[in-house]
Order: sequence, then structure tokens, then C-alpha cells
Amino acid sequence: MTKTIHVNHLARVEGHGGIRIELDGNTVSSVQFQAFEGARLVEGLLAGRRYEDVAAIVSRVCAICSTAHTLTSLKATEEALGIEVTEQTVALRNLMFLGENIESHALHLFLLAAPDYLGYPGAGAMATDFRDTIATGLRLKKLGNTVQEAIGGRAVHPVNAVLGGFAALPRLDTLIRLRDDLRAGLRDAAAAIDFLASLPDIDCGQVDCCFAAKHAGDGPSYYTGTEITIAGRDGSKRFDVTDYRSVFDETTVPYSHAKLNRRDGKPFMVGALARLVIHPRRLTGRSRRAAEKLGLSVPSGNPLDNNKAQAVELVLDIEQAALMVDRILDVGLTEEPRKRVESRPGRATAVTEAPRGLLIHSYTYDGEGRIAAADIVTPTAMNAASIEQHLRQAVMESTDRSREVLTRKLEMVARAYDPCISCAVHVVSGK
Amino acid sequence: MQRPRTGIFGLTGCAGDQLVVLNCEDQLLTILTILDVRDFLMASQANDTECGLDIALVEGSVSSREDEARLKAIRSRSRLLVAIGTCAVWGGIQAMDRDHDRSQLLNTVYGPSGRAFDTLPARPVGSVVQVDYSIPGCPIEKDEFLRAMSNILNGDPPIPVTTPVCVECKFRENSCLLQEHGAMCLGPVTAGGCAARCPSMNTACIGCRGPSRDANLASAVELYRSKGFSDTDIANRLRTFAPLLASSGDDEVDRDAPLVARGGKT
Repeated sequence: MTKTIHVNHLARVEGHGGIRIELDGNTVSSVQFQAFEGARLVEGLLAGRRYEDVAAIVSRVCAICSTAHTLTSLKATEEALGIEVTEQTVALRNLMFLGENIESHALHLFLLAAPDYLGYPGAGAMATDFRDTIATGLRLKKLGNTVQEAIGGRAVHPVNAVLGGFAALPRLDTLIRLRDDLRAGLRDAAAAIDFLASLPDIDCGQVDCCFAAKHAGDGPSYYTGTEITIAGRDGSKRFDVTDYRSVFDETTVPYSHAKLNRRDGKPFMVGALARLVIHPRRLTGRSRRAAEKLGLSVPSGNPLDNNKAQAVELVLDIEQAALMVDRILDVGLTEEPRKRVESRPGRATAVTEAPRGLLIHSYTYDGEGRIAAADIVTPTAMNAASIEQHLRQAVMESTDRSREVLTRKLEMVARAYDPCISCAVHVVSGK
Repeated sequence: MQRPRTGIFGLTGCAGDQLVVLNCEDQLLTILTILDVRDFLMASQANDTECGLDIALVEGSVSSREDEARLKAIRSRSRLLVAIGTCAVWGGIQAMDRDHDRSQLLNTVYGPSGRAFDTLPARPVGSVVQVDYSIPGCPIEKDEFLRAMSNILNGDPPIPVTTPVCVECKFRENSCLLQEHGAMCLGPVTAGGCAARCPSMNTACIGCRGPSRDANLASAVELYRSKGFSDTDIANRLRTFAPLLASSGDDEVDRDAPLVARGGKT
């Protein structure tokens, strides 16, 4: 007898998606993570656009990850056209990434994920009993936005990051206020950890996973670097992002607008948990204590541990952002003349760590400086197959066959990945 | 007085305008006491998808039959429907599809499987249903949104900004990127309300708020031509966020084309 669990419209995620599971007695016969956000065909629309127009267009792939899309796009175009950037620009871009991560994780943990652990339909309902907690989460979210606004000019779809650097430098008083806000944010982060550590552990099954994350150039960074490590129980592989098409196997499926990514036939996970698995030595003092308080140990096959990993990153990123602003205030900022860009044919692939995981932008430019081809591989597209494996495990390990309880668990598993479905549906065929 | 029953919806887009609503961190908890939010999928599990609504905020373009059906259902249950964001008001970046052969686009992006997808050329919300108020922006401005909501809650229409970005740029005493630096700044034809954020940061306006009221596109085209920009690049820039100007298909800019977006071919 076939039993179907179908979540038609997954709530509390970015974008439009669903989950469909089919059970044949005790066997899971089908698992589908359906990304059905409308097709905007951005990679196709980029064809013929000049290099200076590209970043602002791809920023619109997604709002929460708009900083990541913008900066990854600039990184790829700069490499393709041979434009160099200074250490100052790299530092400011790193800072933007930190701000984005802080905002995204705070949003996800407090507004999207936490309500499930306590049985609330949403943060609005949760706020009636947990007003201070939600207020703390909102302050942390705002802090991330403040960082992005200070450097990028606007939180959603930044305007200040341009080819070669920044159109305008942040003012001194803005940076001083930012530093104070970040230091105050550490207190909110500590309170956030206390709250999140108090949440019940919910068993949604465990799967031995493969993980993939980027290596930083110098020091921990979401922005710099070109190499990726993918690691699992069977070993690990480190490769340059330019080889991604030969390392990741992508397949289309009829039930989703997103492609599934696998490595050697196996799904892999990207995101906060993957970053901690691949780089366990990232954690220092505060963030290490936060991980201990949350009971997080890596590697972990528990998808809900991605939430814990995001919480740890929240602490780490606020700390690092504060240090980074300190350093910038020490060294000072130097006005840089706008870079001269010469059109030439070029091809490059750039990788960064967006809040949800690896983000890849790959562009080919013709001799007139126009896009001939573009490919964007987003973290949620990379996670789609792994989400399905965790959904399957959640069903298989669930001793409680109540449809209601099982459905809630499946939603929690999907949400733990913090899926960004608007991003996931960006694909390019025929590789 | 009953709290207004409110729904917040996203069709096809980046969810940026819904995010701006959530980005009103200082006001959010208060907003939730003033509005009776009944249907907001991005924020809540428990949504009443049938009840009548006093206010519906709709983001995103109509890019599929599913979007169309959902939008019509939203319209039929709502007293006021407010289109929020440039995608909802004008079509957004996805409306650049008018410049491409759509079936070829689908094939490039999805391959043969794309043919089976429920996907349509992007249209603004107002092309499908009656819209009561429009708040453009990519994304919308937080302040403008809060002011608009205040107006609506008081029974007044929001007050749109009718002047172009140039006016705000002049107020801020910026040097003109177009006239003094020869950049293709779309300020003269773009709806103000953003305090000329981009030009104030030394970067040309890209028109993300859509065209200003009475935008003189024909004159703008001549102006950019006189600065040495090609018709291809002028058309590309002007059509990034809204399918302005009719496209004759061979990159010729039609000076007499009406301002509003034309229906796209499937």
C-alpha cells in the first residue's frame, strides 16, 4: 500500500518548493525535493551584456545572498578581464560577506528554524511567549544588515561594489559606529547561543555525509580562495574551482527546476556544517565554547546540526567582523582611482562561500567585453541531492509513523539546510 | 477597530521585497501587533489561504500559469492589492526575456526538459489583475514601505514619488555623472524615492526603480547617443528592469514606442 507525504508549499524557506515522499509499506520508494520557483532564465539573459552590467543583474538572483552573488560575479569578471584588486578591496569584500552571513544566519535561526523546535507556526506566534529572544534575533539580523549597508551601500542588492573595487569608501564615523555595534553584538550572540542551546534535540535521522567547502586564500575568509575540498568517509579531494564541471555530476529531474549535484554518484552537503567539518580549526575561544555549549561535534550526519553550525558561525563572524573593522580603522582607507577596464576575450570561474554554502560563477567574455556564456551554481542546487538523502533517512529512522509528526520532521530537515530556492533554480544545461 | 487582515505573497522573484519587510527589524514586532498577518508563507507555517484579506502585498512577476492562478486568487480575496517591488510593478530583470527567443533561452538554461516546465514570459502584476497601489524599487525602500503602510492604515493612498532620481541627486549636491563624467546614468528617467543612493556613491543609476512618471525616453536615448553610447547598450540598459521601448528585434530603439511594457510573445 502506497502512502504519500506531500508538502505542497514549504513554509519558512526562501523561494517556492515542496517535499514529496512515497512509501510502499516500510520502503521509501520515492523522495523528491521539489524546487518549483519560476524560471527567470538569468544565465540566458546575460548573453550579450557588457561586463559592467553583469554583477547588478546577477545580484537579483537572490535577495538574502545578493552580496554573495554580486561579489562572486565581480571576482569572476575581474579574473576573466585581468583586473586586479587591492588588499583594501579584498578586506572590504570579506567584511561584506561577514555581514551577509550574520544577517542570513540570524534570519534563518530565529525566524525560520527556531519556531519548529518549540512547536510554533512562526516567529510572530513565538514572539508572544519569547519576545526578548525574537528581539535579540532581530538585533543580530539588523547588525548583519548594518555591516552590509556600511560597506556595500545597501543590504539587499548592494550598489557600492564595482569592478576593481568600491565606488565610494565608508566614512570614518560609520566604521567607528560599526565597530561599537559589532562589539555590542557579541553580547546578543552569547544570549542567542544560550537560547539555541536550550532547544530540544530532535531526532531526524543520521546519514554518513560527504561535505564540500572552499579553502581561503589567507586566513579564514568566505570571499578569497579558489580551491574546494570535498570529503567523506572514503577520502577527500582538493581541486581548483575551474575543474568543477568534471568533479560535480549534475542531473536534471522532471519534478524540480533545480538540478541535483553528486560526486562519484554520492550526494554532498555544503554550508555552515560543511565549513566546520572541512575547517575544524576555524573555531577560536568564543566560537569553540559556543560549539561546546550547543553540543556540536563534527563531522556530523545529523542535518539539524547545520543549524548549530550556523549559530557557531554567528559568533565567529561577529568577532571577526569586529577585528576586521578594528584593523581597517588602524590602517585607514585609501581612495583608489577607478580601474580602467579593457575589453578582451576571457573566461574565469570564481568560488565563494555564501551563507548556504559554495557559490560558483563562471563567465566567458567575447572580444567586445560581452558575455558569451554564463553559469551559476548555487549552494542549494548543490545540496538538493543531499537534502533528499536526509529526507529519506528521516523517514526510515522515524519510529513514529504519525503523518503529522513525520511531516514536521521532514520540514525541519529541509529547513535545516536553509534552502534558497530562488537560487537553486539557476542552472545551465548540457555540460 | 479590527486589525487589517494582511497577506504577504511572492510570485516569481528574488524575495527581496519580502526581505525588506523583514528587514524592518526595529518595527517588525510592532507591525505584527498592528497588522493581522494571516498568510505569509516565507514567515509562517500556519497560513489561512482562503480568508478575505484587507491588504495583500504582492512581490514578483507573473512568470507561470501557477503564478497567474495564485495572483487571481489573491486578487479575488483582497480588498486592497499592493504591488511591491519592481518585478511586480514593471516585470523586473526577468522581463528582459522579451529581447530573446524564449524557447532558445529555456533550452540554454534547462535543455530539452525545459519544454515541459510551466513557464511564461514575465509580466507585471498589473498586467493580470487590477492593482490598487504600486511601490516600485529593487528592492523597495524601507522608509517608503513604512510610510505607505501608514497611509494605507489611515485610509489614504500612499504618495508616490513622481520626480526622477535627478531631483534627489541635485538636492544632495552631487556632481552629475552623466554631464560631467559621461556615464550612462539613468537618473533622468528613473523613479526617485531612493535619495539618489547610487549616484551619491559615485556609481551611475541603473534604473532599478523603473521609469519615472512622464519619463522622456526618446530624449534620454538622444542624450545617451550624444555621449557616444551605442543603441545596443542604450537599449540594454534601459530595458534591464522594465521592458521599456518596443523592441523591433534588430536593436533599433523605437523613439515613438509607448512607455508601458507590451505583452510578450510566448
